[in-house]
Amino acid sequence: MDPKDQIVSLLKEADLYQNQGLLNEAKERYKKATDIIKNSPNIKNGQELIANIVKKVVDLNQKIIKINQAATKPTVSDSKQTLIKKLFAGDGENDNHTSALEGAIALAKFGQFDRALEEFERLLDVEAVRVAAAKNIVRCHLEIEALEDAALCYERWVGDDRFAYAQLDKIRFFLEGRFSKLGFERELYQREETISDEDMESLEMEAATPEESSSSVNGQHSECSSAVMEDMELPEEEEFLDINSVGIQLPSGAQKGRMVEFDVSFQTGNSINLIISSKESALLDQLVKGTKLNDMQFFSPIAILNGSGVVTAKTQIKSGPKEGDYSLDITILTT
Amino acid sequence: MATFNFKKREIECKIVYYGPGRCGKTTNLEYIFKTYKKQIAGEMVSIDTEGDRTLFFDFLPMGLGKIKGCDVKVQLYTVPGQVQYSSTRKLVLKEVDGLIFVADSLEVRREKNMLSLKDLHENLKSYGTSIFKVPLVMQYNKRDLEEEGIPLMSIERMDRDLNRQLKAPYFSASAIKGQGVPQTIMECLKRTLLNLQKQLKWAK
Repeated sequence: MDPKDQIVSLLKEADLYQNQGLLNEAKERYKKATDIIKNSPNIKNGQELIANIVKKVVDLNQKIIKINQAATKPTVSDSKQTLIKKLFAGDGENDNHTSALEGAIALAKFGQFDRALEEFERLLDVEAVRVAAAKNIVRCHLEIEALEDAALCYERWVGDDRFAYAQLDKIRFFLEGRFSKLGFERELYQREETISDEDMESLEMEAATPEESSSSVNGQHSECSSAVMEDMELPEEEEFLDINSVGIQLPSGAQKGRMVEFDVSFQTGNSINLIISSKESALLDQLVKGTKLNDMQFFSPIAILNGSGVVTAKTQIKSGPKEGDYSLDITILTT
Repeated sequence: MATFNFKKREIECKIVYYGPGRCGKTTNLEYIFKTYKKQIAGEMVSIDTEGDRTLFFDFLPMGLGKIKGCDVKVQLYTVPGQVQYSSTRKLVLKEVDGLIFVADSLEVRREKNMLSLKDLHENLKSYGTSIFKVPLVMQYNKRDLEEEGIPLMSIERMDRDLNRQLKAPYFSASAIKGQGVPQTIMECLKRTLLNLQKQLKWAK
């Protein structure tokens, strides 16, 4: 190709890439064009062309610097923070406090630490999520490299009546584990009471759970959620397997003892939903709200478990293809 | 994972537009927002940064009305495409029900397309699922630039690069002009809802 055509083509490409926001690709094309001009003494106004290109490349470099220097986790508006909370706070099936905790965790994962800290602080009033909220406060401080603040938070809680000894120990062990990984030496003030050997063993195991170290300590913030935020936690709860179907042994009636099997149509945690045909009237009569089912089988893709449950709701479906059938909610008690 | 409110007969699912930076994910959503006013259930929200680059995500809620007696709501998201926003992408991808991979047809972006697809594959794997299991549609975007005489990859080549094993349905598109945008989202919705029907049996 004629060098002149080549240069025209490269400059056209470069302009287009720039319009597309592909700044490095544009720069590359400008550089190639400059090289061709430099090697083609017959091109008229070569120096003038190069000067124009250099100007464009300088502009491009400034844009690239601006993009690279833009905050990776800027604080966004209140309304956007509220949206983040709403969209990333789980499936809404949890109780209010757990949902609030999930919302605060979502904010922290998107780098909205001030608002997240406010929400975690509020949740310290709630017994059920207090330890999880406290640990997440610590994580937020670690993420923003405020290690001393994390320690001061814990020491504030030591003098706070809302925290039980065992709760404080959990937080202290957690914090000490983090500090040790980060190479931060800081003695933590303790409330004076000893804990049992058994409790100590479980705390040590908890603290020793493998976790990635924070990337923020060496001065390199990752973008939204670093390893510190990856493991933000909800209150400890039992994990439930996905259950595909259940077997229920009829508790009474003419068919007492017979095992009937149903597909699970929906599951959230330890609550499962079954659809039972209206034709199964004898069975439906036995399965009323509050009925305890002592002999149940739970079929998951990896195991079959025996256990018990209780019927928590029975509703007749009013419309749709399953009209007339019954929706049964069962809470799993033991497996 | 989609949420299914059995009592209200309401299903809500999540579709994510994935792809390398500047490939046109947000442009897809903007076109849908502009064109399907009737189905849009709220405002489109973009959380972006310097140079109109998506920082956290774009979000567009849609209502598809009743399908087989069930009120179907869809949340459309885009992820930030820039390499450095890896963990945000992972966060947005969580519990995805359907995926649209937007690939850039510009020859200079060939490697970025492949890296982004690999990133998607790895992120799904980290959530215990597989790119082969989630309904996926490919979109080969920016076909209009061919008119400008800019080197583009052929559809065949892109399909060979990105879709040889996946064998996902694919569409050529020019999101800026709206070409191929409706076909892509329709196909993804169809596949996603069929998949959810199999899993949740909501339309039986």
